[in-house]
Amino acid sequence: MGPRWKGKGAEAKALADPMSKIVSQLRLSFIESDLQGLLSGCIVLLEANAEQTDLLNRACFGRPIVNADKDKQWFQLSMEEAFYLCFALKCVKIICNDKWLKNDEEFWSCMTPKRANFHNLCIAYSHLRMKNWVVRSGSQFGVDFVAYRHHPALVHSEYAVLVLSGKDENTNGRLRVWSDFQCTLRLCGSVAKTLLVLYINKNGNGVVFPSCLENYSVEERMITRWNPEQSRENGTK
Amino acid sequence: MEEDEKERLRFSEGRNDCDSDSEGYVEDLVDDELCYSSGGIPKLQFRKDVSKARWIEELGIAEVVERKGKMWTTTGMVRDGKIYSSIEEALFLAEIGALHVLNGDDAYLSLKDLYEKVAKGTDGYGCSWESFEIYRHLKSLGYIVGRHGIPWTSRSTKINSIAENGASELDGTSCNGSRHDIIITEMLNNLQLSEVRTIFDVYPPNSKFKKSSPGSPCFLLCLAGDHPPSKQATEDLETRYKGHCIKFCNVEHGRVSFFSFTKVELPVLP
Repeated sequence: MGPRWKGKGAEAKALADPMSKIVSQLRLSFIESDLQGLLSGCIVLLEANAEQTDLLNRACFGRPIVNADKDKQWFQLSMEEAFYLCFALKCVKIICNDKWLKNDEEFWSCMTPKRANFHNLCIAYSHLRMKNWVVRSGSQFGVDFVAYRHHPALVHSEYAVLVLSGKDENTNGRLRVWSDFQCTLRLCGSVAKTLLVLYINKNGNGVVFPSCLENYSVEERMITRWNPEQSRENGTK
Repeated sequence: MEEDEKERLRFSEGRNDCDSDSEGYVEDLVDDELCYSSGGIPKLQFRKDVSKARWIEELGIAEVVERKGKMWTTTGMVRDGKIYSSIEEALFLAEIGALHVLNGDDAYLSLKDLYEKVAKGTDGYGCSWESFEIYRHLKSLGYIVGRHGIPWTSRSTKINSIAENGASELDGTSCNGSRHDIIITEMLNNLQLSEVRTIFDVYPPNSKFKKSSPGSPCFLLCLAGDHPPSKQATEDLETRYKGHCIKFCNVEHGRVSFFSFTKVELPVLP
């Protein structure tokens, strides 16, 4: 399934305005203004000025909070988005209990409720974002994320993403039984998305990198249903 | 709320996939349950050209004694000029009325007798009911299906590359011993006991198929146990059958589903 652009000119618009550039502008702007976020439970609240709001919207991070504040726009970042902006792009500082969180372990320990699969979800999110895909929640479809080729206003998401541990640990219990395969694939098909599984492996060489992202590797697999009736004419692939 | 604020929010809160419940709904293509009310179950007609095969109990295969019709170009294994068929091949042809199977005493084996052989499972004649359903499904759609690792013919100078890498070892032994021994060896070597079994080599529908040079199958079909294959099992199979396409299948309540687990790398976008 190729990208489904929304309307004529959407693809051209996307090409003219690459996501990498938008994110890079966002990063510079946030570093310059020393943007800080407040950890609240497992989300991070950000107070954004007009320029930052525009960049957050164009790069598709966070959800704006509708309130009466006329001067500033508040956004809430998901755990993965906050992780990415803080520890991968290093352009947001996260505050919890009046102190800055220096690394992902501190982030994790301050977070409530604790999420199973926390590290894997953050690594998976970062992995796709670093390739300039736009990543949003997939909970509407019973998956971890959905991935877009560019801004959701321009294109439908192509992939429904499930994050699993590479070592077969039962971190989220998905795809362990055939009925789950059938269910997930059926759902993905009915919303025109391809099921993408990301396997997160912890690199076991004993060295712990300060940038925790380097401690992990990600493998991608696409899971598709093969239909023998339809494949006969098309050469069975 | 002021206009420009509304505008800002509209841009970010548009009808995006992650917000919508029914975005991009594609019509359900799944067939409804095929249920028959009283009467109405179709019956297949016995054909005019019915082949005959004799079941050889010690080998767990049937030797074709009267060959009629064109299906033998894509069914059965050739050994020393004769055609032999596995239980799934025999049963499939018997079900569609194209084959009569006899036992050693020249008595006709009924469908019941053949079903009983399949009921013995993999330990019986190498084919379980599950495998048979898969075989029948693909054959009915015109695919050419061979039991994995069993060459179509032993006379071919280029033995099916799958067999070379697979469990069966035919190289030296095919010249020694009787042809019966060869077949037993082949069959036994392919009863893999691990969690995932490679059961069939599947070829695309092809009226010009030649057993002497079948080419490469379009995929190898693997059947997992009661739960889906682990990532490790998938990788082991890919390593073992390097270069071949592998698919997995699951049979449930008579429904056969096929899956591919393809390694990919999403492109880095601009």
